[in-house]
Amino acid sequence: MKLPICSRPLSTPTTRRDFLCGLTASLGSLAMTSMLAKDYPSSLLKASATDQGPLWPKEPMFPAKAKSVIMLFMEGAPGHMDTFDPKPELQRLHKQESTLAEEGDPFKFFVGSPFGSRKVGQSGLDMCDQWQYIADPEVADEFCNYRGCQAESVNHPEALFHMNTGSRLGSDPALGAWTTYGLGSMNQNLPGYVVMTELAMPQGGAGNWSNGFLPAHYQGTRLRPEGSPILDLKSQPNKTREHQRRALDELAFLNQRHAYRHPEHKDLAARMESYELAYRMQTEVPDVIDLKGEPEYVREMYGMNDKETAVFGRQCLMARRLVEEGTRFVQIFTGGWDSHDYLEEGHSSRIRSVDRGMAALIKDLKQRGMLDETLVIWTGEFGRTPDNNKRGGVYSLGRDHNAEAMTMMLAGGGVKKGAIVGATDELGKSAVDVVHPIRDLHVTLLHLLGLDDNKLTYLHGGRYKQLSQFGGQLIRELIA
Amino acid sequence: MRASLILFVAFATASLSTVSAVVDETEMERLFTLKIKPMLSEKCFSCHGGPGKEVKGGLKLTTLEDFVKGGEFFDDVLIPGDAEYSFVMEAVRWKDPDFEMPPKENDRLSEVQIADLEKWINAGAHWPDEKRQNEIRLAERKVRENEEGILIDHSGGLSDEWTYRRYKPEDMWAFMPIRKPAVPEVPTKTGNPIDSFVGAKLQEAGYEPAPQADPITLIRRASFDLTGLPPSPEEVADFKMAFKQNPDSAWTELVDRLLESDHYGERWGQHWLDVARYSDTGGMSNDYERSNAWRYRDYVIRSFNEDKPYNEFVIEQVAGDELVANSVEDRLDGDEEAISKIHGTGAYTPQETEWMVASSFLRMGPWDSAMVAKPEARQIYIDDIVNSVGQTFLSTTMRCVKCHDHKFDPLPTKDYYRLYSAFSTTQLAERPAAFHPKENLNGFEEGRAMVEQLHAFAAEKKELLHEKREAAAKAWFTERGLEYVDYASRKELHDDNKPPRDIGLDYIDEGRLKVREQDDWIWERRKERYQPMVQSVFNSHLPKSVNARKLRVTDKIEENEMTESFILLGGSLKAPGERVSPGVLSALGVPVDPAGDDPYIIPEDLDGRRLAVARWIADARNPLTSRSYVNRIWQHHFGKPLAANPNNFGAKGEKPTHPDLIDWLAAEFVDGGWKIKRMHKLIMLSDTYKQSTIHPAREKLETVDPSNDLLVSFPPRRLTAEEIRDGMLKITGELNTELGGLPVMPEINMEVALQPRMIQFSIAPAHQPFPKPEQRNRRSVYAYRARGQADPFLEIFNQPNSNDSCEIRDDASVSPQAFTLLNSDLVTDRSIAFAVRLIREEKSFSKRVSRAFELALSRSPTKEEQMHMLDYVENMRDYHKEHKPVPVTYPTKITRSLVEEFSGKPFEYEEILPAFENYVPDKKATDVDADTRALADLCLVLFNTNEFVHVY
Repeated sequence: MKLPICSRPLSTPTTRRDFLCGLTASLGSLAMTSMLAKDYPSSLLKASATDQGPLWPKEPMFPAKAKSVIMLFMEGAPGHMDTFDPKPELQRLHKQESTLAEEGDPFKFFVGSPFGSRKVGQSGLDMCDQWQYIADPEVADEFCNYRGCQAESVNHPEALFHMNTGSRLGSDPALGAWTTYGLGSMNQNLPGYVVMTELAMPQGGAGNWSNGFLPAHYQGTRLRPEGSPILDLKSQPNKTREHQRRALDELAFLNQRHAYRHPEHKDLAARMESYELAYRMQTEVPDVIDLKGEPEYVREMYGMNDKETAVFGRQCLMARRLVEEGTRFVQIFTGGWDSHDYLEEGHSSRIRSVDRGMAALIKDLKQRGMLDETLVIWTGEFGRTPDNNKRGGVYSLGRDHNAEAMTMMLAGGGVKKGAIVGATDELGKSAVDVVHPIRDLHVTLLHLLGLDDNKLTYLHGGRYKQLSQFGGQLIRELIA
Repeated sequence: MRASLILFVAFATASLSTVSAVVDETEMERLFTLKIKPMLSEKCFSCHGGPGKEVKGGLKLTTLEDFVKGGEFFDDVLIPGDAEYSFVMEAVRWKDPDFEMPPKENDRLSEVQIADLEKWINAGAHWPDEKRQNEIRLAERKVRENEEGILIDHSGGLSDEWTYRRYKPEDMWAFMPIRKPAVPEVPTKTGNPIDSFVGAKLQEAGYEPAPQADPITLIRRASFDLTGLPPSPEEVADFKMAFKQNPDSAWTELVDRLLESDHYGERWGQHWLDVARYSDTGGMSNDYERSNAWRYRDYVIRSFNEDKPYNEFVIEQVAGDELVANSVEDRLDGDEEAISKIHGTGAYTPQETEWMVASSFLRMGPWDSAMVAKPEARQIYIDDIVNSVGQTFLSTTMRCVKCHDHKFDPLPTKDYYRLYSAFSTTQLAERPAAFHPKENLNGFEEGRAMVEQLHAFAAEKKELLHEKREAAAKAWFTERGLEYVDYASRKELHDDNKPPRDIGLDYIDEGRLKVREQDDWIWERRKERYQPMVQSVFNSHLPKSVNARKLRVTDKIEENEMTESFILLGGSLKAPGERVSPGVLSALGVPVDPAGDDPYIIPEDLDGRRLAVARWIADARNPLTSRSYVNRIWQHHFGKPLAANPNNFGAKGEKPTHPDLIDWLAAEFVDGGWKIKRMHKLIMLSDTYKQSTIHPAREKLETVDPSNDLLVSFPPRRLTAEEIRDGMLKITGELNTELGGLPVMPEINMEVALQPRMIQFSIAPAHQPFPKPEQRNRRSVYAYRARGQADPFLEIFNQPNSNDSCEIRDDASVSPQAFTLLNSDLVTDRSIAFAVRLIREEKSFSKRVSRAFELALSRSPTKEEQMHMLDYVENMRDYHKEHKPVPVTYPTKITRSLVEEFSGKPFEYEEILPAFENYVPDKKATDVDADTRALADLCLVLFNTNEFVHVY
């Protein structure tokens, strides 16, 4: 290997050409191809991860229905009977002593939903009367309401971990990590797996979007809601982009000479490339998340002009933009659903805060012809009980945690449109039809992405690990 | 037998798909019974015919008749005598994408299994009746070793099939007794047996080892390896000089000096803490403080520095509290009153304290009892500790044995529950134990004062809300002409006779009250950090309370409330099977009581169970213990272990690249009294360790041995997160090398420090750094570790999450690392401090540049580099004259916003940050002139170089 000759006199300012001169010498095809990745249709990119970097787009194992995922995570667990799975019988039993209490339980009483429900759209999906925007037939008929999923834990962090990683223990690879491991990402200048949260992280924190035992490239990148979207993305305030470029050039200068002395060390090129990717991300990430250029009607559609809906709406719009730019998996966490009391106020305010953004997201994806290839999932970590304890001697109108029944909404990406799949019993205590554990849901989501859970494995600690841990069943009823 | 086999093969090949008459029927019956049937049972019956199970595709495989009949999709699944046209062959070969059987990668049949199946079908698919199968099986069980593998003695599985299954001897390498292998007769320069073992493999492969590395590389390698810090330029110069005169003695002296450094324990203690899952909090939804965990961290570091024999180190961690109990009982001659007084006050001897602190190992896992019923909370703890002991000391994963006999290793679920039983009387508690004379108690006063300030603030806010509530309650009682009853006593009253629980409080008050009540005990709890207490355990049958918020030693309970353990079928508390006694893993052949009926059983006394387990682990004959630890030692010297899964030596773990070497090292370790420093020296004085990273035949070797399993050259590695941070601090001269003590609060990314972090019902208090630079700029091993909030700098450089035992750290290069090293306050501050140091120490620009290279990279710049960097600094001087830095400010309070849990409505409250009241920041860009900032740019680039972050 010959040392590259850079013709730049020592004191002149840096140019783009010099930068490339410095770069290509040590990175060769790696850097160049990575930069071009986003410009190629995925069908042309059959390269394996080792050839082109771990996030290089990979072909699915079989023809995929969905290319990307947007998961709207309602942390705290929405009550299914107060959102999409109405229970008239529960209404009738309101405040009567619960017949579901087990021996040793304190006095419990049934809680009817504070909301009325109606059938919406052509398909007649059930939605409580608090949903305004997604009840629009244009949106409503896109959804599939699944009522058969069962969680295992009634503890928030464990159930969150379970829904996100397939394991109750946390810090195992998340669904998004497995997805990017299986499919790579369509844009090498943006993170492939993006997580958005409120100011406070959900319970269990980053363990919910961890790469676990998968390589670190697959961990979720959290876009922080305030301050720097990615930690230290910005230079120090007194350092300009030109200053940064010059520092990177000096770094490349030293690194090249070092690489020349250490031809045996294979990791050097990848680390050099990570700096150039960082440099590109410094402009691309702010571009994608800078919504200033969005027209007023779009901002209005996503509810960004209303304090109550602005945060979630903004995140939904960012999710759409990210997916459009090639990010594979986006997750938005929004909390406050844990209504043990004041169910009416709690759930109605939560519903208002997500309704508009969610509807806008579906419409927007549809208009752009992206919905068919984008799987949208709305879910909590479990459901809620039909009954409640008294609290401080008062009938507190709320609900407890319930692992046996929950509700979720799916749209786009190859799921049935306007369908209700599965059922819970007449009180909503337990799923009774098309009943599946979380692992089956995971298997199904991977399937829609063209990935076979049984083959999407990673050798760790001597075992081929998989998302579902022990394999699972496809929930065929969900698939269009 | 061999003859008949050969005969059969001859026949079979001669008449493959024609007739079955010519095959040896006995042989085929044996093939079916011993291979085909167990395979069907393991791989197929769960979907195709196990009793009481769903039958997929209508296909049952449990009888020959059903097999031949086929299912919904095919009637040609099995055609006896004709494998080619039997669809089953296509399915197991995964030829048809719709029928790949078994469908999971993990379950796929091996080539040998497929060949057996083919052979069996072609020979006519012999399926002897049950009686005949039994005869064959029973006869086979008398054969210790056959072509299928070896039988292993153990306490027995849930089925005979499992009990008598066979293991490939090479899979069982770690479970077999260690016989010290003879050192191969390969010429070496050192006479070091390690070089002979490595050399023997090299000779076989036809390669010479790489030449010796140059002295600069060697001193950097050794310094990071043994202390986690770079050598100073003076140390480098001295070593180069000595090396010139006598390379061997210079090297020996260097290794000796580094092994004597206190930084040795900090570095090697960290490796242990990775495996033990060290953390200052308990994780899960509450992330409760473990206020005294730091004492365990210092115990570990001390043990390494004092070169404590590893067998003692093991026993102390598994049963330290029992050693204390025995010691106190002995020295007080059984005087019960005096004994109980000592345990109550913690007036232990230094040795006893040391043991007590060691037992914190048993408290390192993430654990919380919130929202979990008591029996389940106990089960979660015991499962965790059994698994942790298995991984940590025995390099054996136990998790799967909880539910069933181990799929691959000779570990019956019975043995799991014997170990489970041994830990079933282990209860968690914070226990008093006088401080050890070697413990660092600096900063207690200051720390306590700040906690008291924070506590007083929370308590006052809480009190005001209580007063508001009680005023409303009084009015309520008065209105009804009832006598006021205080809050606590109201619980007893009937609902109709008392006001609502939070009367007088709106949702904002309710939210704030919850926060303040939470803070009240958080700070109350934090005060325990300054108490002579230990996160420890005690022995008792059923525990009184398992609330992780506060755990104390409780009275021992009546004898008739004995804890009993059962095999829990499928790991479920609801499915107890056979009752088990405490005991150990039986497959290793190491007894706890050689004279006992069952030598692997421990007496069911309340005390002594863990000590028996501990002594069994530390028994010189236990083949896993010494292999496990020498493998870890090797791993950290070479960046890669001999056996690639240091937490799993089972059949599914990677096999060692040098099986004889690992055994020789293990035997040598035990022979040398389990002394760790001796092993370091042995390894580091070998030529194998001193090799260059570059081999002359590099390009060829890349294809022959891409992962360098031959150890033909030294593997380069990236610095760990702690080495990067500590290294920078040493280079800038900021590092305070004080040993041990309270968890250090360094300055972490301020956005993260102040961001809200959810815990149950509230937000955890903000991370507040220590106010003075010398308090903050300590080694990373002393930094506060909260499971719920990592230091983002360390996390991004792959400091492991302490929820799982980390056998080996990841070191992938990801872009966020570049952001951190280029833009973070942490690295910017270091670059300023580095520049300030350079300016202080050297007058001329060119000397400053040279010194910068010497400090950061242990070498002088080349002429080209020197010129180039001078030019860079020159340009940056002009730049910085034009670009003024922005001052950094630190808030003394922060407004938090939270959604009230019950109403779902947001509310705000204020949190105080007293640490920033008299805060002394590290030197900032605003404190220095443009010259310094320009030089700092160079320093920052150096910290980012590949050369700085890797060791060769």
